[in-house]
Amino acid sequence: MIWLTWRQLRIQAVTAAAALAAFAILLAVTGPHLASLFTTSGITGCHGGACGTAAGRFLGRLAATSPYSLIYELGIGLILAAPALIGIFCGAPLIAREFETRTFSLAWTQSVTRSRWLLAKLALTGLAALAVTEALSLLYDWWAEPIARAIGYGGNQVWQLPAVFSQQRLSFVIFATHGITPLGYAAFGFALGTATGAVIRHAVPAIAVTLAIFAAVQVATPLLIRPHLIPPDHMVVSGPSFFVNAGLSVGTLEASIVPGQPGAWILSSEAINAAGQPVGMIPTSCLQPAVGKGASPDAGACMARRGIRESITYQPASRYWPFQWIETAIFLALALALAGFCFWLLGHRPRYSGEAGPALPRLGDVGLHRPAGRR
Amino acid sequence: MIEFHLDGRSGVAPYRQLIHQVRHALRLGLLHEGDQLPKVKDVVAGLAINPNTVLKAYRELEYEGLVAARPGIGTFVTSELDGVPLAAHAPLRRDLRRWLTRARQAGLDDESIEALFASAFRSEREEDIA
Amino acid sequence: MSAVIETSRLGKRYRRTWALADCTLSIPAGHVVGLVGPNGAGKTTLLNLAVGLLAPTAGEIEVLGGRPAASQVQLARVGFLAQDSPVYPGLSVADHLKLGARLNPSWDAELARGRVDRLDLRPTQKAGTLSGGQRAQLALTLAVAKRPELLILDEPVASLDPLARREFLQDLMEAVAEQELSVVLSSHLVADLERVCDYLIVLVGSQVRVAGPVEELLATHYLLTGPCRDPGTLPAGQQVISASHTDVQTTVLVRTDGEILDPAWTVAEIGLEDLVLAYLSQATRRRRRDNHQHLEVQR
Repeated sequence: MIWLTWRQLRIQAVTAAAALAAFAILLAVTGPHLASLFTTSGITGCHGGACGTAAGRFLGRLAATSPYSLIYELGIGLILAAPALIGIFCGAPLIAREFETRTFSLAWTQSVTRSRWLLAKLALTGLAALAVTEALSLLYDWWAEPIARAIGYGGNQVWQLPAVFSQQRLSFVIFATHGITPLGYAAFGFALGTATGAVIRHAVPAIAVTLAIFAAVQVATPLLIRPHLIPPDHMVVSGPSFFVNAGLSVGTLEASIVPGQPGAWILSSEAINAAGQPVGMIPTSCLQPAVGKGASPDAGACMARRGIRESITYQPASRYWPFQWIETAIFLALALALAGFCFWLLGHRPRYSGEAGPALPRLGDVGLHRPAGRR
Repeated sequence: MIEFHLDGRSGVAPYRQLIHQVRHALRLGLLHEGDQLPKVKDVVAGLAINPNTVLKAYRELEYEGLVAARPGIGTFVTSELDGVPLAAHAPLRRDLRRWLTRARQAGLDDESIEALFASAFRSEREEDIA
Repeated sequence: MSAVIETSRLGKRYRRTWALADCTLSIPAGHVVGLVGPNGAGKTTLLNLAVGLLAPTAGEIEVLGGRPAASQVQLARVGFLAQDSPVYPGLSVADHLKLGARLNPSWDAELARGRVDRLDLRPTQKAGTLSGGQRAQLALTLAVAKRPELLILDEPVASLDPLARREFLQDLMEAVAEQELSVVLSSHLVADLERVCDYLIVLVGSQVRVAGPVEELLATHYLLTGPCRDPGTLPAGQQVISASHTDVQTTVLVRTDGEILDPAWTVAEIGLEDLVLAYLSQATRRRRRDNHQHLEVQR
């Protein structure tokens, strides 16, 4: 079965290896220069506030130097896309093609039971998929380590950075590309593809359905599920300099930092008045005509005098690893459930595809063919 | 080694045809004592017929005492057909040709000659049985 | 002799249609069994049940004494060739042989290689580019080289030209002779089966109409011709399969274990094709009668 699994997925395996190799070369070529930029930026061995500015300068230089932000985004895109690609190119055809080409009648009448056949295919392909995803993730982590450290020092507080550099690791997009969650997603994507293929029994529709479901899950998880995996913390920031401490934006009055919680993931924040009601904008009486970019400390003191505070709902950065474990466990469990479903589907109610069962013989069918000239 | 053929239109069962062909070969001197009959595998591969058909024919020939099966080796001819030696055929052939000449002179065409012969042959055989 | 396939009231239903109903068979070993019937009669269903690709809705089936596809050992003893000989289009001929070797512990590599050489199949050729006849031969090689005890073939020659058909049957019979295989093969053409089968099953309208050794069937069916008569007046031991009448003559096909003693009948033997046709038209008549529900004109 090892040879057969490899042989049937040869094209996908070679493509994946080639893509991985190409990406690895790209990273290997640009990595050392990135590392040297980092060491010359003065972040190593810095103290206190100087770290933030040094990190900001470093990230600013990166954004200006052309390939790095592109590669950074490319890496994120690849790691996010890999589970979906695995699902549609390895998972969906696994069972669906056997039905489509009717080769199941060849595959399942060799001296291998259906369960053993499916087990070998799922395990071998699944492990390979996980290995590729993990390799991708590790390579990328190695390459992007300087950037991650700079962001960790708060370097992304500088406004001019492209949006991608301002993401913390416990954030909307980045979370799924680091740590062990890529493995969970890869396993889930593969199992989803296989199960969809087993039900629909045609590769192309299975691919479409798998993509749709997977995309929906990838969007829904950070929006709806992840925030509530662990009940979030609340903080109310008040006092004269709360405007600056919480990094409130002038237009929306939304916090971008949680004081005392670097790297926290802000789920929601709003300004509330003394009675607890939300305040949408800075009261006009607190606005100063000569305000430029950023708010002056007076606006903060003015609002504080009026009893306006900021209520922030957030997940502290320290919960990064618990979130990683919980989310990965959920998706691994889903993957196992889908795999179990495939086993049940194949072993329990085997059907052959296509015909819905022969209809009663039509009258014209009765009567045998007699080749002309024979007795 | 002889080769078998089948006539699907003759109405004679396949195994009977095989038996006839073996006897015919013996009669014509194509097979002698000690010769091997074609292997069952080769016969069915040539004719696309059921091996049991061939086995049945060979078994019946064995029962008649004409052949003997040696397990693992093959089936071999054990005796020639008891029959009229070829030498005795010559005068019979002469008589037959004379009769044919007379039939033609009487005005019979080919089909009438064949029909006359077939019906006389049949009734003579039936009289024998009865 | 033990039975290779034993079924007891076997049935398979798809939603509301019974593809196979109330099928009770005991197919003996050591025969080439022909399963004949029109399209949609349930032949493919029965064969798929026998190799475990389908599960029964009703009744039971046992193949070589075990449940179909229940274990590796069971699967190794049965070879299967599905309709239209599916192969992996992207895999080469050599790849298919490797597949057979890797997935079957009882694989005979020399036999497989010998067959492929004899058939002039290029090992590097992709199976998707093979002709229909070559595909059938490749699939037969795969089924035969694992040295099964029973070989099941679903309409193996239906889509082959006459030469390919003959060559396929020649190869099949050679394998049967060499390996002492039992074979069950289905077809909707009796002509294919006549030469090679020595056991016959007629399946029409999802039901078995007649089953038995060909020799016995031919010996117990008689075509009786005689003066006009009601078939109902025949003795009890003689089962009427079909009857037709003109104004002066009645022709009846009967099945009986005994002799035909009535001197009024002219007795003739019947060929296999005509016998099967008679059973097919019997089934049609019955179904028409059931469907339309009007009284038959009694003579």
